[in-house]
Parts: sequence; structure tokens; C-alpha cells
Amino acid sequence: MTGSRSAIRVPLLFLAWLLLTACGEVLDDRVIRMGLATAPLNLDPRFATDATSARINRLLYQRLVEFDARSMPVPGIADWRRISGTHYRFRLTRPRQVFSNGQPLTAADVVATYRFVLDPANASPHRSTLTLIEQVEQVNEEQIDFYLQRTDPLFPAYLALEILPAKLIAESHPFESHPVGSGGFRIVDRSVPGRLRLERLIDHQLIELVEVKNPTVRVLKLLRGEIHLLQNDLSPELVGYLKSRDGIQLKQMVGNNFSYIGFNMDDAATGNPLVRRAIAHAIDRQAIIRLVMNRAARTAEALFPPEHWAGAVDLPPIPYDPERAKALLGRAGYGPGNPLKLTYKTSSDPFRIRLATIIQSQLQAVGIELDLRSYDWGTFFGDIKAGRFQLYSLTWVGLRTPDSFRYIFASDHVPPAGANRGRYTSPLVDELLLQAESQESLAELAVSYRHIQQRLHEDLPYVPLWYEDQLAVSRQEVEGYRLRPDGNYDGLETVELMHSRISSAELADAAD
Amino acid sequence: MLRGLSMFILLLWALAALFGGGFAAGANTIDLQRILAPPSELGLLGFDDLGRPLLERLIVGAQTSFLVAFGVVAVTSVIGSLLGLIAGYRGGWIDLLIVRLIEVFLAFPGILLAIALAGIMGPGLDNLIIALSVVGWVGYARLARAQTLALKQRDHVSAAIALGSGHWRILLRHLLPLIAAPLIVEATFGVAGAVIAEAGLSFLGLGIQPPAASWGSMIRDGASYMLMAPHMVLAPGCTILLVVFSLNLLGDRLRDRLDIRLTARKRS
Repeated sequence: MTGSRSAIRVPLLFLAWLLLTACGEVLDDRVIRMGLATAPLNLDPRFATDATSARINRLLYQRLVEFDARSMPVPGIADWRRISGTHYRFRLTRPRQVFSNGQPLTAADVVATYRFVLDPANASPHRSTLTLIEQVEQVNEEQIDFYLQRTDPLFPAYLALEILPAKLIAESHPFESHPVGSGGFRIVDRSVPGRLRLERLIDHQLIELVEVKNPTVRVLKLLRGEIHLLQNDLSPELVGYLKSRDGIQLKQMVGNNFSYIGFNMDDAATGNPLVRRAIAHAIDRQAIIRLVMNRAARTAEALFPPEHWAGAVDLPPIPYDPERAKALLGRAGYGPGNPLKLTYKTSSDPFRIRLATIIQSQLQAVGIELDLRSYDWGTFFGDIKAGRFQLYSLTWVGLRTPDSFRYIFASDHVPPAGANRGRYTSPLVDELLLQAESQESLAELAVSYRHIQQRLHEDLPYVPLWYEDQLAVSRQEVEGYRLRPDGNYDGLETVELMHSRISSAELADAAD
Repeated sequence: MLRGLSMFILLLWALAALFGGGFAAGANTIDLQRILAPPSELGLLGFDDLGRPLLERLIVGAQTSFLVAFGVVAVTSVIGSLLGLIAGYRGGWIDLLIVRLIEVFLAFPGILLAIALAGIMGPGLDNLIIALSVVGWVGYARLARAQTLALKQRDHVSAAIALGSGHWRILLRHLLPLIAAPLIVEATFGVAGAVIAEAGLSFLGLGIQPPAASWGSMIRDGASYMLMAPHMVLAPGCTILLVVFSLNLLGDRLRDRLDIRLTARKRS
């Protein structure tokens, strides 16, 4: 009898011990953990196109050119000299840079990286921005010559590609899973899916990037101390909730990612400029920014914000004016007897659906019946590229150089050749784009692009909405994280964990 | 007390579904000034992430769940009972075929099959009813077949056959009334199941499309605001809980009422 009792008791005790101790992994309190909405898809900068990968690749690799606050190109690891309109010489200014495998970074690596991307056989998605380059030649260990097909004063701004080691490129090294760069960080562990552990080389600080898809769960993990830092991808309400919590600090700065409503110019209704302007006047952007976005955005009038070196500073804001919208619709032949019915496509992101529903109700007030369609990202983006839409909303992320205008609005840049997804055709804008390309100086170039933006503001192939702010939320023990207008993660270069600010109770909780 | 409360809840549900339209005119009216406002004298249950009144959206959701639940139960109970009756009465290869079909459907988890069907057919109220009906008839068929197998040997059925009654007359006049009681109980539980299934599919975005309201889609919308505005989830969540609980109580009560042995024992 006693034996049988102990036979039951032992497994029960073992089970109880398992339950009590199975509270999860022990978190290392020396590691700074940052929560991400999506994990990076590809850590090979030659092929990465998603924003998270691009932001992490910036930490792992270095570039010839960087950008200042006005988006002007400034020397990265190299400075440059314009020898002629079609000949630029770049010189590595930091010759002692080494890759994480110990090899030094030389001009040969730069040449190999650019030659790889320029080779059509390698099908790099970044090739289209570099087709201007005719030839890349190594002059010596530190200097590289770029020969162009035609003059372009913007040229240095195109060289923001991350540099990879030539030897490993030749060996077809799998950079997408095992990156080898010369940046300030190296990957030390990516064995757990959705977790990427980086080491900051300057002080060996470990930083873990953790994928947590659900924003509420991300916030709860931040409050519990499982992660220390979050950037963007939070609803305004969650940000407001975090603001009210003790021990949480919030940083906010104006952003430059441009949100807009795009139209299909081939459609009889949205191809009509009166309809497009009516829609622009019917949307109360100020109310949406104030009441829905918690003031975490500013209204936009053009692709580039005013502080951009080619930004248009004098564009008149499109006012919210429902009466004018109704009058414009009347002139276009629509009214109560013949209401305008349109289909609006958006992604399945809950915040985007929410914004679309608000826009739907604002347009309904002026007599436009909007049929909302939300799709998963792949279907939605496929439809937009194929021109299967009347109107849609999207955001341009990370636009730097004004050659984007050609990519987005030139009549010969309909997908797959470019991103003129609305099939916008304007001989005048095409002519202005050609003129801009023949300019010799950046000042003249800026004037040309301002003319283009003025014209686009009149034609409205896009209704400009807003530039969303950049937000970073962190626990009180986090110091030194700096936000950037394009939302990159460069702030990880300076972030610190102040252990003195972590209470012992919290440490015990984190280690549970 | 509990019985009275459950009947009151079901009565409210039915009234909201049938006559609530007039009280829910503002269910889709967006008011940015009232985003996530908690319950107050302006809105008894508060407002959602677009400033829409939750009470009025609950009433619209009641219409959706009522329509789907009774639509699905009507279709599935008729088709399932008929197939079960035919299988049990005729036997032979027809019975074998129907039993195999039932087994195939039972091999799949019903809700997963409904999700797959709703996904293929696309979102919408009609497709939702079709998807839930395709998986919902099996219970009625199994029950009707088992009851028919037990009843078809009875003397009154043999007498009807001897008198030359047709098969349909025997099925509908001599068998169906006798198996109706368990089928009605099954249908009551079926309504509760359909309410949950509709909410589940709408939660996944496969049911009613915005801006129309459904209790499931209201929970989905509210899930993102659990920390700031729990009323967005609590209101539809508690409503589903109360309605399903009341339906199950009604089913239990009906089963007790319609069980002859139990009633006879009570009388004795």
C-alpha cells in the first residue's frame, strides 16, 4: 500500500515541479531586446527589398554614401570627386575597415559588389536604380572609378548599396542567412526563428531583435520587461496607453514616409481631374491626424517633405471643403440622382482598414459611395501593380532621391518598368522630367523637381495625405536610442542599458 | 430564476433581431470625437475605434447571428433529418452510402471545413450560411437514422405497410412525428453552435464584411484595444456567452420536457 502511494506521489511531485519551473526561458539581463513587427526576410543587401531587412542590413554592412537630414548625399565610407559629367572617382576614407570575417574592406570589394548588382544575370532588384553606370573600375586599393552613360548630378546619391566582400561574392556565399559585413554589428546567433542576436563590435554589447507580430503582445512584453524597446507599428491608442504608464519613455519625431491615395487614370471616373480634386477636398486630413492618429503625423502636399533639398515649400495645402467637393462632383456629372460609386482597395492591416473606413464615411458625406475591399498584402499589391483598382492607399517608405519622380510618374514607367501604377500620362510632366535630367547642378535640379511637384499637385495623380511620425517606446532603463526620420535602426549604435535603473524586483521578474 | 433569465435573454435577442432595426440606425455612423469612449449616458456600452455606438452595433450583430443561426438550422435540420430518415428506413446500399458520407464529414473537424469553404467561396452572409450548412447536417442525419432504425420495426409501421401506405407517407406521417422530439432538442443546440460558428468565422474575417456588424467581427476589432478599451471586447463577448448559455439551457429544458420516460417517472 505504502509502495503504491509513493508510486503515485513521485510522478505527481515531478509534475508539480515541472509546472512550477516551466515559466519560460531565463532572459539574459545584459542583452538589449528590441521588438519587431516582422522579422527580416533577407540579409543579403543585393536582394533585400523589405524595410526590416534594409534597416538591419544598414547595421551589418557599410555604404559608400550616406544621407544628411535634408536627404543630400554625404560621404559614407568614401568621398568622391567629379572628374567629368560621366566620370566619378570614389576614395575609401576609412581604409582600415574590416569585414566580420577579418578581411579588410578594399576597392575590390566595392567593384565586385556593384558589378554583381549590375549583371542582369543576377536579377538584383536594385539594378534598375544603377543602370546609369556603364562601368566600374578599380584604380588602386582605395579608389574606384564609376563611368556613366550620361551626366546626372544626383549620381552619388544612388550609391547607397551595402558593400560585401569580393572573395565571398565569388564563392557564392549565402549572405541571406550568414551575412558578412563591415558594419558596426555582426550576427552572433539566429538559431531561434524570429530572433536575431547581434553584437555591437565597439563594446560587445549584445542586442536581440525579437519578432512579435501582435502589437498588443509587443506592448505587454515591453511592460513586463521581456523586451526593452519598440519602434513604430503601434496604433495611436497603444502609444497613448504607453504614455500613461510609469517607467516607459516615448520618443517622437517627424517622419518622411509619404501616405497617399492613388488613382487609376485609365478609369473613366478616377481619370477625371474634377473627381480627383473633389476627393481631395472631401477628406478631412486634419481631423484624422488629430483624432485618430493622436497628432502623430503632419499633412503632406508632395512626395518629399518641405525639409528635403528638392522638397516643394510653397505648395498651397488642399483644404477640407465638402461644399467645393460637391460642386466639383456636380461639374463632373455626378449628384444625388447619379451618385459616384468607386471601389477602394487597401491592405488587411487593421489600422489601414480603419483609416479606409473613415475616408469612406467622409466621402459618403459629399455623395461618393465607396466600396471598401481589403486584401492580404500579396493580393493587394499584385492588384495595384496590375492596375486592377479605381483608388487605393499606400505609403512610400524611404524615398531619398528625386529620381523617384521618374520611377513613379513617367508615362513609360508603368509596372514592371517602374512604379507608375496609376497609369498617369502627362506630356508636360514627361518633358519636365527630361529637362530635370539634363540639369548640371543640384540647385537647378531642385528647381526642376519643384516645378514637377507643382504640376503633380494640380493634376493630383495622388491625393497627398500625411507623413507619419516616427515613434520609439522604451523602458526607463534604456538610454541613448535616437530616432531617424526614415525609421531606420541606427539608434542601436548608441543605445545603452542603465542597470542602475532596473529594480531588483523587475530583474527577478524578468528572469522568471 | 435561471430559466426565467435565460428565456428573457433569448426573448431580447429575438426582439433585437426582428424589431431592433429602428434602434440601430446609427450603428455605422462614424464619430471621430467619440473614439473608444467608455460607457456613458451618451452610449450605454461605449463606443468603438471609429466612434460608433457599441449598443447599436450589438443590435445589428444580433440580426446577423439570428439570421445565420436560424438559416443554418433550418437548412441543416431539413436536409439532415431527411437523409437520416431515408437511410434508416430504406437500408441497403442507400444506407451504406449515406453512412459513409456521414463518416467522411465526421472525420473532418466541422469548423475547419467551414473555414475552408468560407475561404474558397469568399466572405459574405450567404456564403457563411452555405459553409455552415454543408458541415451542420451530419448530426441530424445520424440522429434521424438511429431513431428510424429503432422505430421502423414497430407494429404501427408494419400496419401502415400492410395497409399499402406509400414510403413518403410512412416516413412523414408515421416516423417523423416520433423522432421529432430529439431532433428539436438537437436543433436547439444547433442554434447555439451556429451562433458560435458565425462569430468564429466573422472573427477570422470570413463572415460579415465591414462596415456591417457581427458579434465576431466586433470582438476582432476590439482585440487590438484590449488594454485601452476592454468594453469593445466585453460587450460582444458577454452577449455571445449569455445567448449561447441560454440556448443550451433551453435545449436541456426541452430535452427534459420531451423525454417521455422522464415525464412518466415524474408523474408516477
